[in-house]
Amino acid sequence: MSQFLGPLDSAGRVPPLQQTRVASFLISAHGALARQLSVALPGQLKAGWQTELNAQLYRETEIVSLLMRATSWLPDFTLPYHALTWEAAWLPKPVGGVTDQKLAMTIDIAALGHAVHGAIRPAALLPVEASAADPFVVALRRIEFESSRLIQAQIHFLKSEDLKPVRDAVSAAVEGRHRQVRKLWAELLEGIGIRRDADSE
Amino acid sequence: MPFLAHGSHRIRYELDGPKDAPAYVLVNGLTQYSELWAAYRDTLIGKGFRVATFDLLGQGASDKPELFISQDDQVEALRLLIGELGNAPIFLSGISFGGLIALRYAIEHRDGLAGLVPMSAFAELSPQLLLLGNALRTGLVLGGTSYLQDLLLPMNLSDSWLKPLLGNLDAVKRQGWLINDVYALQNLMESFLDFRPLTPLLPSIKAPTMILNGEFDFLTPRSLHETLRLGIPDSSLVIIPNAYHAFTLEKAALTADLLARFAEDVLAKRWQGNKAVWIAPDEPGGALIPFPEGYDHLRAIPVLKAAS
Repeated sequence: MSQFLGPLDSAGRVPPLQQTRVASFLISAHGALARQLSVALPGQLKAGWQTELNAQLYRETEIVSLLMRATSWLPDFTLPYHALTWEAAWLPKPVGGVTDQKLAMTIDIAALGHAVHGAIRPAALLPVEASAADPFVVALRRIEFESSRLIQAQIHFLKSEDLKPVRDAVSAAVEGRHRQVRKLWAELLEGIGIRRDADSE
Repeated sequence: MPFLAHGSHRIRYELDGPKDAPAYVLVNGLTQYSELWAAYRDTLIGKGFRVATFDLLGQGASDKPELFISQDDQVEALRLLIGELGNAPIFLSGISFGGLIALRYAIEHRDGLAGLVPMSAFAELSPQLLLLGNALRTGLVLGGTSYLQDLLLPMNLSDSWLKPLLGNLDAVKRQGWLINDVYALQNLMESFLDFRPLTPLLPSIKAPTMILNGEFDFLTPRSLHETLRLGIPDSSLVIIPNAYHAFTLEKAALTADLLARFAEDVLAKRWQGNKAVWIAPDEPGGALIPFPEGYDHLRAIPVLKAAS
């Protein structure tokens, strides 16, 4: 097990199978967020922070589009099974303990967004030798960089005073989504020879 | 790698050195991780101390609570770690954010410490520190951990330390970038949103206290350390020459030596705080000299103190 993607080829590129698996996971997660945001975003924005969600919808779409084009794809017969597992995991789960069902659903979407943007750090998988000229390498760096901005809308909403009365339920929802995303991400990485938990560092 | 449990969270820690020896507990700064104390571990163990290091909640290999990290939880994590050390005398030291956590611990556990060493620390948010903190948080949000590091490195380290590394700064930043997550650092920074000054509580600190402050510390300047010196009864202030905020990284050998000498003096009952002001030597083992009589240690130019 390694902590990083590789071994890189002589041009500093990530092996195509690793590219395929990592890109598939990220497309699934960010694609799910884009779909959920497109449904959840109100036609008429009611709060200032919702402008961030509008931007996020298009950023998520951009991430999917970027990965589609930047990845060196390889046929991978395990993908249908993995994709089903991931897609099932991203399905909305209204947060328990919140009576307003629309709010409960919005909290879950935000919790998933917090986990996808916070717990997944694709650029941290790159070894120092990874080529800065390779589109997949640049795409991973860009996605991680954008994630630190995109997570702000979730942080703003999930920490807001409006949710203070249901803070325990919100925290539990975010913890649950983080646990879920981390587990799936770790399983994916183990499948391509990467282990990133504390004991391996 | 051992972990402590605080509620559902795990806190990664490390104990080194002889089991029954007096112990030094070292608390990380906000963007740090426990491996950065390696030089201290070696020096202090060599002088007969036990050394305890850990990653605060939100740092390194400890759990990173997703939405909120309270400073109370950090103090509790520290209490759990100190609980692992048995009955040996405990010396507690922390840098910057870690210095603040150490101060809070010393206030809440008045009888539990043999000595306290806050380094580049503060008990209140001056307007400058508050605004700098806000700007650093914005930098983190807009530019990620790497940009925060870009801001902190020139602010907190000297030219002489930075110059030979200028061509290789990415390597210097990489481990900190790898191990820290943006949302976790943001949570650590946002633990100041409900911060209340510790200044009125400082007189309750009973432990002998050596306050260390870099001569050129820009982030937490002398005035913030002066608050500690004036408030903590058995304290003295030691100014580290030619040092900036992160002198624990830049001058590890000197600082570790000062920590060991302080603890040895306390254990031998030679320590006298007297709210004195000292100038540290340039090298480990050198003599501390008293700040020149009559001059104002809060000034950068030799100005005579105003007659009181």
